[in-house]
Amino acid sequence: MIRGAVAIFTRDFKKFLSNPFVIVMTLFMPVMYLVIFGNAMGGTITHIPIGVVQDQPYMTETPLFTAAVEEIRNFHQPDKPSMFDVTIYSSEEVAKLALSQGRISAAVIFPSELSADHVVRVYEDSSDYMVPSLIEAGISSAMAGTGSPDPVAINRIYGQIDYIQFFGVGVIVMAIFMTTMMGGAFALIRDRELGIIEGYLVTPVKRSSIILGTIGSTTVRAFLAGVIIFIFDILITGVAVRRIEDFLLVLIVIFIASIGVTSLVVALASRFSTQQEYASVVAFFNLILFMTSGAFYPTIGMPGWLSWIAWFNPEAYTVHALRSIILRGQGIDIIGTDLVALGIFSTLAIFLGIATYRRTLE
Amino acid sequence: MESVPGISGRAGASPGSPPSGGNDRIIRIQHLSKVFREKNRSVTAVDDVSFDVFSGEIFGLLGPNGAGKSTLIRILTTLLQPTSGSAWVDRYQVTKKDEEIRGIIGVCPQNSTLDVELTAYDNLEFYGKLLNVEEGILHDRVMQLLEMVDLTDRAHMPVRTFSGGMKRKLEIVRAFLHRPLILFLDEPTIGLDPDSRWEVWEQIEKLNAERTTIILTTHYMEEAEKLCHRIAFMDRGRLIALDTPENHKRAIPAGDLIEIGFETMKEGLLSALTATGLVKSAEAKDNRVIISALNGSRVLPSIIAVFEKFSMPMTSISIRSPTLEDVFIYLTGRKLDAGNGDVPTGGGR
Repeated sequence: MIRGAVAIFTRDFKKFLSNPFVIVMTLFMPVMYLVIFGNAMGGTITHIPIGVVQDQPYMTETPLFTAAVEEIRNFHQPDKPSMFDVTIYSSEEVAKLALSQGRISAAVIFPSELSADHVVRVYEDSSDYMVPSLIEAGISSAMAGTGSPDPVAINRIYGQIDYIQFFGVGVIVMAIFMTTMMGGAFALIRDRELGIIEGYLVTPVKRSSIILGTIGSTTVRAFLAGVIIFIFDILITGVAVRRIEDFLLVLIVIFIASIGVTSLVVALASRFSTQQEYASVVAFFNLILFMTSGAFYPTIGMPGWLSWIAWFNPEAYTVHALRSIILRGQGIDIIGTDLVALGIFSTLAIFLGIATYRRTLE
Repeated sequence: MESVPGISGRAGASPGSPPSGGNDRIIRIQHLSKVFREKNRSVTAVDDVSFDVFSGEIFGLLGPNGAGKSTLIRILTTLLQPTSGSAWVDRYQVTKKDEEIRGIIGVCPQNSTLDVELTAYDNLEFYGKLLNVEEGILHDRVMQLLEMVDLTDRAHMPVRTFSGGMKRKLEIVRAFLHRPLILFLDEPTIGLDPDSRWEVWEQIEKLNAERTTIILTTHYMEEAEKLCHRIAFMDRGRLIALDTPENHKRAIPAGDLIEIGFETMKEGLLSALTATGLVKSAEAKDNRVIISALNGSRVLPSIIAVFEKFSMPMTSISIRSPTLEDVFIYLTGRKLDAGNGDVPTGGGR
C-alpha cells in the first residue's frame, strides 16, 4: 500500500516541479491577494475631495466659515493624513456643478450667520461606498469643533444607495471577465489541445474567418452575460434606469468592454499552450484588474501605487461609466472620458488579439 | 491542368523524378526536405524526397514511426512549410497557392479533430460550411455520407458516445464532404480493432471507387498490402523504394522463407544446407532455422532430407511468401515496428 502511495506521490511531485511557471504563480497568487486585497479593501480612505462655499450674502469670510474650513482641513484619523482635500468655491452653483461632474464628493454650503436657524447644507455624492458616511462624520465633528450652534443638513443627491447597488454594477464587469476567461479562452485552448483548430486549417476557410468567428462568439457571450447581470441588478438590487438612452448607453459600454476583454483574453490564450499555465496567469489578471477597478471598494481608498494600476485598468473605466449611468443617471458628457479610454483599450486589444491568435494558426 | 513549371531547384533533373508530364500525375514532389530546428539540435524529418502520385490511385506511404510520413503529409496539406524543394498538388504549388490547394483536398489527420461534444450531423454540417459545400445541397450530402458509414441512426448523438471505429469513419467521410480530388489519410486505422479496421478499409475503397486519389500513411503492412496500388517506403526521412506491392516483393532476391523449428542444434547443419545449392541463405535463430530459397515448396523435401541426415528432429515447418515487412527488412535491415521515434511529427501548437 505504502509503495503505491509513494509512487503516486513521487509522480505528482515530479510533475509539479517540472512546471516552474505554475509553481511561481501558485505561490505568487496568495501573496498578491494579500497585497492587493489588503491594500484595496483595508486601506484608510483619506484625501476625499470636498468643496466649501460661503453662502450669500457674501461680504467677507465669516468666522464660522474660516473656523469650519480649518477644522475640516485638519480633520484626520489618528496617525493618518487628513481625510479631506478642501477646495473653496466662489458660489453654490459652481460647487454643485463640480459635484455633479464627480470632481468633488461633497459640497458644503456655510450660512453667513451663526445661529441655530441657519443650516449648514451638505450635498454629497451618495453613489459611493464608505465615502458619504465619512463625510457626514467628518463634518459633524468639525462643526462640533467650531462650537457653533448651526445644524447640519445632509442631502444625498443620488438618494439612498445601498452597498448591493454599488457592488452590483461592479458585478456586471465581473460577468464579462468570467465569461471570456472561463467560457471563451478555456474552450479555445482545449480546442487547440484536442487539435480541433488544426482541423480548420486544412479547409479552405480563411484565417481571418477563424479569428472573426472566435472573437465574435466569445464577445457576444460576454455581452449577453453582462446584460443578463445588468437586468438582475435592476430586478434584485433595485437600481432604476430611468431613460431608454441610459439603457442603450449601458449596452454600448458593456459591448465595448466585452470586445476589448475578449480580445485581450484571446491574446493571452494564444500565448499559453496548456490550460494550467493560462489559468494561473488569468487568475492573476482577474485579481489585479477586478480589485483595482473600484467594483468592491472606492478607488480613493487604494494606496497610490494601486490607483496607478487603476489608471490603466479598462475595468476601472467600465465600472466608473456604468456607475455614472446607472446610479447617478449621468450621460455621455460625464462618461465620455471612460468611453474614450475603453475605446483605446479595446482597439489595442483587438489588434493584439488578432496578431497573437493569427500566429498560432500559421 | 498541365501548366506545371519544369523541374526547378538543385543540380538539374535527377533521373528518378520524371519531368512534368501527363495530366495523370496529380501530385509532384521534387527534392522536398524539412528540417526542424530546435535550440542547438536539428532534425531532418524529410530528406530530399521526390516522387509523383497518379490520379485515381491509392498511394501508400509506409514506414516506421518517425519516418517522416506525417511531416510529408503536413507539407502537402499546407500545414507546414518545406525547408527546401517543391511540390505541386494538382496544378497548384505548395506554399504559393495554399488556399487553392485546401479547396481540392480532404484531410483526415492522425489525431482526431472531431468535436466530440457535437453530434455526428453537426460535425459534418459544420465542416460542410468550412469546406464551402453549397448550402442547398449540404443537408442531403451530410445524410448521404452518414448513410455511407452506417451512422444514420446515430446522426444526432454526440460523437463522444461513438466507438473508435465509428469516429474514424466519420472523420474520413468528413474529409470527403466537398468531393475532394485528393484525400489524405494519416494513419487511418491506428488504434482500431480488426473489425473496425476492416470497415475503414472498405470505406477507403468505396471512396477510391469515386475516382478520388487517396494518399494514406500507415505502418501496418497488411493495410498497405490490401489497399495500396503503389507503396513508397520511407525511413529516417528518406524515400527508399517506390513500387507496386507485387514488384516490391519481387525485388527481394531471397524469395520464399522457410522456417523449421528444432530443439537442439547439430554442428554443420547450416553449412550442409547451403552446400545443397538450393537455398540462398540459412541461419539459426531462437530455435528456428530460417532459410530463404527461390522456390520454397520445391526445395523443401531436399531440406528435410538434410535435417534427417543430421538426425535432427523438427518441431515445426512453415513456408511463406515474402511480405511487405520482409521487403522493409530487406531494404533497411530493421523491422518496421522498431520505430526510432526520433523525429517529431510536426510542430503542434
